[in-house]
Amino acid sequence: MAYAPPAAAELKVRSPLVEWREFEFEHNSLLTFDRRKSALNGNQSYTFEVGYGVTPWWQLEIEIEVETQALAGQNHRLNARTIENTFQVLPQGKYWADLGFFVEYSNSLIRGEPSEIVVGPIVQKEAPGFFGATTLHTVNAFVTREVGHNRGGRTGMFVAAQSRLRLHPLLEPGLELYYNVNDVGRPGRLRDQEVLAGPVLAGAYALGRAGLPGKVKYEVGYLFGATEQSARGAVRWRFEYELAF
Amino acid sequence: MTVRTAFLTIAALAAGVAAAATASKAWAADDPAYALAIRSHRFSPAQIEIPANTKVRLVIRNEDATPEEFDSTQLRRERVIPGGGEATLYVGPLPAGSYEFLGEFHPDTAQGRLIVR
Repeated sequence: MAYAPPAAAELKVRSPLVEWREFEFEHNSLLTFDRRKSALNGNQSYTFEVGYGVTPWWQLEIEIEVETQALAGQNHRLNARTIENTFQVLPQGKYWADLGFFVEYSNSLIRGEPSEIVVGPIVQKEAPGFFGATTLHTVNAFVTREVGHNRGGRTGMFVAAQSRLRLHPLLEPGLELYYNVNDVGRPGRLRDQEVLAGPVLAGAYALGRAGLPGKVKYEVGYLFGATEQSARGAVRWRFEYELAF
Repeated sequence: MTVRTAFLTIAALAAGVAAAATASKAWAADDPAYALAIRSHRFSPAQIEIPANTKVRLVIRNEDATPEEFDSTQLRRERVIPGGGEATLYVGPLPAGSYEFLGEFHPDTAQGRLIVR
């Protein structure tokens, strides 16, 4: 059983913040591990995105996804092209939490598979931590809906959560959780749903300190599958370059 | 769970968070404010001292004709400020320490530090 279609590499926690007049170039990857002859073993998913802060409250991103399903003997194929919109609802840091809203349309490039719309809120909270560091907590709660040709009428739910300890801008260890229900109309039992959780390490570096323009960010994580429908393990990484004009 | 229930649940959660967040609006208006200017691609003052464990407003005015981006990975704040424009950033509560910021468009000269005591 595949991860949340159509972009498995979209196992990432989104921020509610928009950076006006800033370009972002982002790459996400996901590799799964399971029993040798399992359909969940050896799958690869990669996304490549370009985004821009169009206004102080609206960011637009265009993405393509490439995937490989090992058991099916599939080589890398273009899976989907996606338009993502993030709307920043509240000014950062002004209120108790930061709030954004996410709207995505993903056009499937696989014959027989439906396209998809994803919508939902993003909440982020900075809080006191320990070791003299603050903490950052983010939750995405999205509803997904199949659309277009080959749609099965399924409505799904995807929840992603992450908590990080901001020890240093280059080193922010944390934990994250991803929970996916493909069909809220027939959720089944918990073991029929996809749940993955594990450690993550993130950081950012302003290249201006090295005399170069822009900023680079990274996230690396390992996820443990918690249910039968989840791969036993998965490695994910994310690299991002930002440049403002 | 039906489709309608799923959408209503998500919408209620989002509305609840927005309500809880904006309930603190009156408090936010009382946050102490600190002025920072960008002048000849430099921050003035280059160092600002703020109290620990207190949310503050940084009111940044770009007095140059060209845009500058206030950027601090330590503070997790970045904002492009057009030439002649102004931006307000909410920072904190922060533990005691020193937090660097720079102007991404002129990193050699636009450098500053927030001292939290």
